[in-house]
Amino acid sequence: MPGDRLDPQKMAQRAAQEIRPGETVAVGTGLAASLPAVIPPGSGAWLLAESGAIGYRPATGSNVVDASGHTAEIAPGGAVVGTVDAAALLSGGHVGLAFLEASQVNEKGDFVHWTTAETFSLAAPGFAVDLASGAHRLVLLMTHAHEGGISRIQRQCTLPVDGAGCASLVVTDIAVLGLTGSGLELLEVAPGWNADDVAAMTEAPLAVSANLREMTFNVPMLPWPNKVYESAAEAVADIAEGSVVNVDGFGGPGGMAHYLMVALRDHGAKGLTMISNTAGIAQVARFGAPEGVTPIDHTILVENGQIGHAIATYPVSPSVNRPSAFERAFLAGESTLEVSPQGTLAERLRSGGAGVAAFYTPTGVGTLLGEGKELREINGRPYVLEQGILADFCIIRGHKADTLGNMVYKGTSRNFNPVMATAARTTIVEVDEIVAPGELDPEAVVTPGVFVDRIVKRPADFSPYLETA
Amino acid sequence: MTTGSGSNLIRVYSSAEAALAGLDQGASLFVSGYAGRHEPAGLLDSVIHAGVGGLTVICQGGGAAGTPPSGIDRLVEAGLVKKLISPLPFNPRDHGAIKRAWESRRLELEVQPTGVLAERIRAGGAGLGGIFLPTGAGTRFAEGREVRVIDGREHLFQPAIRADFALIRAAVADSLGNLTYSGTGRNWSPIMAMSARVTVAEVDEIREPGGLDPEFVITPAIFVQRMIQSRSLG
Repeated sequence: MPGDRLDPQKMAQRAAQEIRPGETVAVGTGLAASLPAVIPPGSGAWLLAESGAIGYRPATGSNVVDASGHTAEIAPGGAVVGTVDAAALLSGGHVGLAFLEASQVNEKGDFVHWTTAETFSLAAPGFAVDLASGAHRLVLLMTHAHEGGISRIQRQCTLPVDGAGCASLVVTDIAVLGLTGSGLELLEVAPGWNADDVAAMTEAPLAVSANLREMTFNVPMLPWPNKVYESAAEAVADIAEGSVVNVDGFGGPGGMAHYLMVALRDHGAKGLTMISNTAGIAQVARFGAPEGVTPIDHTILVENGQIGHAIATYPVSPSVNRPSAFERAFLAGESTLEVSPQGTLAERLRSGGAGVAAFYTPTGVGTLLGEGKELREINGRPYVLEQGILADFCIIRGHKADTLGNMVYKGTSRNFNPVMATAARTTIVEVDEIVAPGELDPEAVVTPGVFVDRIVKRPADFSPYLETA
Repeated sequence: MTTGSGSNLIRVYSSAEAALAGLDQGASLFVSGYAGRHEPAGLLDSVIHAGVGGLTVICQGGGAAGTPPSGIDRLVEAGLVKKLISPLPFNPRDHGAIKRAWESRRLELEVQPTGVLAERIRAGGAGLGGIFLPTGAGTRFAEGREVRVIDGREHLFQPAIRADFALIRAAVADSLGNLTYSGTGRNWSPIMAMSARVTVAEVDEIREPGGLDPEFVITPAIFVQRMIQSRSLG
């Protein structure tokens, strides 16, 4: 006789081994709800629930609930967001791994969440479809067969699927199955089970791995990856020629990553596409800078010949008599330019970060900025289609960050920063102060650490002005 | 009533009934809350008491399985809801009021993935006409939707959604309507407040202007027209 069927806790323990250090892990309901309780406290990954909890753990008597409505608490280094933000973490590709219960899976990785023959006329996905569409890896937890012995691992799903080709690993109560692209492969068996036992309970064709082994149930304590860089130079060192870079700052001195801008200038990568509000006007507009100093802003990158293309909302000097460096570069044919209305640029960045490929906005309809764009009438009003933007890098300034990257801003220095942070593959931040996880109120975090890859402390004596004669 | 202007603006109403003036038969309604938690219970009780019917309700869904009926469950039970738009109207393993109403065809359901519904509401609040999202491509949630391949991936057109009223729950507000939330009580409230024509917030504590850290306000008062003091725990 084969061994026992694994209980939900054991299945969760095996599934939890898939979590990688520092990643965000979306946790569904049903069997997946057993995951949080098996993860060692303080382990280096964030659990995400659609209720808006990032970095939660089970707890009683709290004002935080998980996806199943069970009470939880935000662990040190977590944050609270709204439902739309939790969903955008998934659709924007910021979630490494998701756990879901499934009632059926096939050899292509299509799966059915909890629809049954009795309820198939009701679609009730909750967050399941978001998890399946958005997470980079999807681990399904399920019993291998119905109580009557009919396999849930099928050639074809017989109920409407909640995700097509999404599953990457299946953890059942008797085995672990991988999806190889050409079908299902038996990777591990539960204690007391062998490949023949499992195959007998599997309707879909099942290859057996040459490295077949027995499942284990230890859940390792994961380290948090280090995000704090000693120097700005080190933090920008891999910004390659031709990269697309979000560079923050509304216009004036507030919220501008002066320290990182200088490092990027010294690093020298050329042919950059810079996405920013102004493309650099602080040196001509002054914004209250004292006489005799030269404010640092995007201008230093432009003057160093690094900006091949700019996407900006206000790329010119407010004075025709004092053109900005970018205007001069543009007029000399050294840089090209795409102008976007300010709200449209903010929305394009938010869209890039949230996985929204394109959106219809009324802004710019009937103006030069709407020309050449798809026009569509919705409910009697004309809209233009605008595209989301996703950059390679982002350099922004915050006020305080914890070492995991959770960040708060100060005053209007917030401006474009929160959306820019979401819309880049690598986000690099400079802050006035770095604190330990738990030091920031999770309710007050504006940019969750999920979005932040590298943190540099701006030296207290760093001047936002160039040293000039 | 909302009276005055500028610094005299008063958005705090003495009763739920007064705060819901104009919520009529056939209205569309956003309701915040998650699995029966953090609901605007006093406002929902008032709607039920008034018996305003034919409602289209857009929300997370009913209460969690095995818990007492939520406000949404009671609203449906009272026969006031014509249509529910929700990612998870009820747990399919549960047998509550919403399931019974749906099975007996007294309730129409429109079901969408959480993130799709959330983005549609946000789009409504941000003035967008609609968006292209990849979520749900290749599943039954793509049925009836325009499909467009963008950057090699299938995306579905999702029209923006707005409502006549939003009934939301908040933790601490100032009397102008700036709102903060507590824990996952935030959930759908910020986007629903943005997207409704009239937002009514049920608030646990109301302070004078200046009593909230402006950096910590989650929903600016611009989005909030009316408030009542809550009489129940969130």
